[in-house]
Amino acid sequence: MAVAEKPLYYLSIHEAQQLIKERKLSPVELTRAVLDRIQAVDGKLHAYINLMADSALAEARAAEAEIQKGNWRGPMHGIPIAVKDQLDVEGAPARIRQFTKGVGDATAVRRLREAGAVMMGKLHMSSLPDSELPIPRNPWNTEHITGGSSTGSGAAVAGGLCLGSLGEDTAGSIRNPSAFCGLAGLKATYGRVSRHGLAPLSWSLDHCGPMARVVEDLAHMLNAIAGHDPKDPTSSGTPVVDYTSELREDVKGMVVGVPRAYIDECAPRTAPIVLKRVDEAIDVLKQLGAKIEDVAVPTLHLATIANAVIYYNEFWAAHKSDAAAVLKTGAPQRRARIYLGLLTGSADYIQAQRIRSRCRAELAEVFQRVHCLALPNQAGPAPRVKDVGPIDTLFKHVVPEYHGPFNLTGVPTLSVPCGFSENNLPTALQLVGKPFDEVTVLRAGYTYQQQMKWYERRPAV
Amino acid sequence: MNKLIEENLMAVLKREGLEPKAGDLEQFSEIIELYMENLKQLHSVNLGAEELGPVFRPEWKS
Repeated sequence: MAVAEKPLYYLSIHEAQQLIKERKLSPVELTRAVLDRIQAVDGKLHAYINLMADSALAEARAAEAEIQKGNWRGPMHGIPIAVKDQLDVEGAPARIRQFTKGVGDATAVRRLREAGAVMMGKLHMSSLPDSELPIPRNPWNTEHITGGSSTGSGAAVAGGLCLGSLGEDTAGSIRNPSAFCGLAGLKATYGRVSRHGLAPLSWSLDHCGPMARVVEDLAHMLNAIAGHDPKDPTSSGTPVVDYTSELREDVKGMVVGVPRAYIDECAPRTAPIVLKRVDEAIDVLKQLGAKIEDVAVPTLHLATIANAVIYYNEFWAAHKSDAAAVLKTGAPQRRARIYLGLLTGSADYIQAQRIRSRCRAELAEVFQRVHCLALPNQAGPAPRVKDVGPIDTLFKHVVPEYHGPFNLTGVPTLSVPCGFSENNLPTALQLVGKPFDEVTVLRAGYTYQQQMKWYERRPAV
Repeated sequence: MNKLIEENLMAVLKREGLEPKAGDLEQFSEIIELYMENLKQLHSVNLGAEELGPVFRPEWKS
């Protein structure tokens, strides 16, 4: 039955879960609508590399039967989601692994299944070994890229090919496609979401997290996946809160720090429209009652480089046993990481770790005065596919910018849409919080989102 | 690519029993040179003798 004013595939998780809970929407009907949408537009978007239609429908039928018996598991029950290739799924291990085995379901995937989510399949990511796979296209303009490396997640969620996705972020790979595709994306605190079953890029920088169309959907997904996992030695035992019940429209009295000197330093490499939209968004937060304060984090300018040094050195260490094969058949980005990792000495790696300690200390000092930071989340709107070379995205790892510092320091970071460029491509605000204080960045992002309602605009694809 | 960097990369590849893919050194020369500049910049900051990176803690995790 048709129950909503917009197409079912464009329902938010929050809207769909309410309808499913009230039995006004069937998980089977919702899953079929998403499958029809995939059939209609994925030939243009190229988001899926492994569509699991039969098992998804079977899972949707099981969810429907369970809910009809009165056993509604919670907000993710019957919700069609898909995951970045990098996460292992039972029967569909990460193709990015290339030469190593998967673990069955990654812990985050297993937890979504336990919450009743319907697994639609695996999504494209940058640097897959299969060079014949087409590059995902941005639903806002299919001549443009989605950003990466969670390329397929960006295309799929923005295009209505799933309601939410799990991405992975080592140097911006959740936040970059979220920004380019007009999505909400959360890189939670390092250790908040298990990395078990995530093909490693860099053990100490990899973060698994949700991507969705609205902030409240991130809270629903985080509720399902957050929490300690004994299978991940870096998983934190810090208690998990209910992120949805903590969500409310309220930034009155919140102190928002703006690292103005750092933004100014990056400004020559940042599109003016991005800086303008971010300044407008910060003004909106001020009008809503937040206090805006300029803050200084002196080593931020070295944090992107330190992040890259740790990334490439750990990547090399993680792939030492299969490096010969990667250099023969791996994607250009992976080959480049091997070479850069090989050129990184132990003193470089230790120096990067020392800068990491310094930067964390500086942030800790700043966060005694502010509740969150606000800054840009992209150097520019999504570029055209034809203008991007196979290793171009790596350059953002070696030029001071907006993502790497917060992988380096492990703090929670939210991407929230903050408008559009002159040619109708999304722009995004980045909100950064204290370790394990996802609640504050989600609340600030939600308050801004509800004021501006950018999510009401949808791509024409 | 800068000759010294190229020789260094070829030496570490050889030490690891690896060979670069044909054309890679040319294709990646710009990012490799930029990265090597970054490594110098990383050491330009004076962190002081007591500023630590990874810390060894002798106690067992309970």
